[in-house]
Amino acid sequence: MKSNEVRVARFDGYERVMHWMAALSFLYAALTGLAIWSPVLYWMAALSGGGFVIRGTHPWSGVLFTAVIGWMFARWAKTMGLDADDRVWLTRMDKYATHQHDALPESGKFNAGQKMLFWSQVVTALLLMVSGVVLWFPEWMPRSLRLVAIAMHPLAAIGSIAGIIVHIYMGTMSVPRSMRAMLLGWVTPNWARLHHPKWYREWRGSTNLR
Amino acid sequence: MLVAKLIDTTLCIGCKACEVACQEWNDQEYTLGTFNGSYQTMPDLAPNFWNLIKFNEVQRNGAEAWLMSKYQCMHCADAGCLAACPAPGAITQLANGTVDFVHENCIGCGYCITGCPFDVPKLSPASKKVYKCSLCSDRTAVGLEPACIKTCPTNCLTFGERDEMIRVAEIRTRELKADGFKDAGIYNPAGVGGTNVIYVLNDAKQPEQYGLPKDPIIPWTVQLWKGPLKALGAMVFMGSILGAFFHYVVFGPQQEEAADEVE
Repeated sequence: MKSNEVRVARFDGYERVMHWMAALSFLYAALTGLAIWSPVLYWMAALSGGGFVIRGTHPWSGVLFTAVIGWMFARWAKTMGLDADDRVWLTRMDKYATHQHDALPESGKFNAGQKMLFWSQVVTALLLMVSGVVLWFPEWMPRSLRLVAIAMHPLAAIGSIAGIIVHIYMGTMSVPRSMRAMLLGWVTPNWARLHHPKWYREWRGSTNLR
Repeated sequence: MLVAKLIDTTLCIGCKACEVACQEWNDQEYTLGTFNGSYQTMPDLAPNFWNLIKFNEVQRNGAEAWLMSKYQCMHCADAGCLAACPAPGAITQLANGTVDFVHENCIGCGYCITGCPFDVPKLSPASKKVYKCSLCSDRTAVGLEPACIKTCPTNCLTFGERDEMIRVAEIRTRELKADGFKDAGIYNPAGVGGTNVIYVLNDAKQPEQYGLPKDPIIPWTVQLWKGPLKALGAMVFMGSILGAFFHYVVFGPQQEEAADEVE
């Protein structure tokens, strides 16, 4: 059977909704956050009603994002654990970046880079939420905490946004047809074999395709 | 020309006329204070209460001392509120040194509250914007002195050119020293570049006794947020975007999946 006649389920409906809720809330929080972060980018506040409005909405988009990250954690934390192959993979990331995939250990459902993105986003989301709550209610929070949060929040955001810039690049330009997996939920067997061989073999073993 | 408010705490009789004048001129709604066993009108400044006489009860040389000090925005040269503020045009520093809040530009984030080493700006739960003493910028703009100065009956409060106020404060300090207050001095903290509200204290070694911080500074995390973090962020973001773009240009996309049979 031709590869393009078979669908391998990659992300179910819950996972897709989860991912895009995270993506949209992140995008909103990041753009409004950037507007508040620098006067150079303050014009972006006007896209969402101006500075006074985004001061009210930005924290809520952060709450939504953190909640979805919590959902993601519950769903994916196990899958995202690093195995021995992943650890080797991470030491050879340069091979991945230069498309020398033969020099890399095989990946499961997620490769080690994706796993690192997941964990880094969990950590930064946590830092952003904790510092964000402190900054949200300046009149109730002790000044000592606010002084930590005022530097921690942008620092965590810089790390988080940088990770997402790379993530968007991978998902849109670098890895052909990966968007199909997150939008429609399926990939072809050959796509799976190419990018996630271990995961492909799991699928192959569980299917009665001739 | 810088202006300054001079507060000679040794002449304050705690009449609170300045509190009333401030409320009147700025058209502030009266709010019931909290009685906490002191003559002080309320425990702290409020969004609609910008000028508070603190009645500090302290121990000095084994005796009770009752120190009154006017508490309001200090109009710092290096203003912590301004350093922290992310909303362009929400806080302005006038040529005469006044640090003024422009409420139509205020987004109510409260960063100024964090940046201020004197804990002066107060967020209004009603308007969700932040308020503090404006040094009566609407009066000084037309050559009038601030309302609190105008009303003070003891000359505890004076207003004028900053250099002149410092000269007056120095003369007053010498007088106090001659009267036996050997630690008398001027409160004009250097950590915030000097302030445009300056005090004469009869014990300048212990400003905390008057409710004033000893060495106020703009906290380093606020300066980090306002300066280096912006440069770092710009480098990281531009680096990520350009890095991704040039990665594509040099290496192109990853291998396409094969269209042949499933193995």
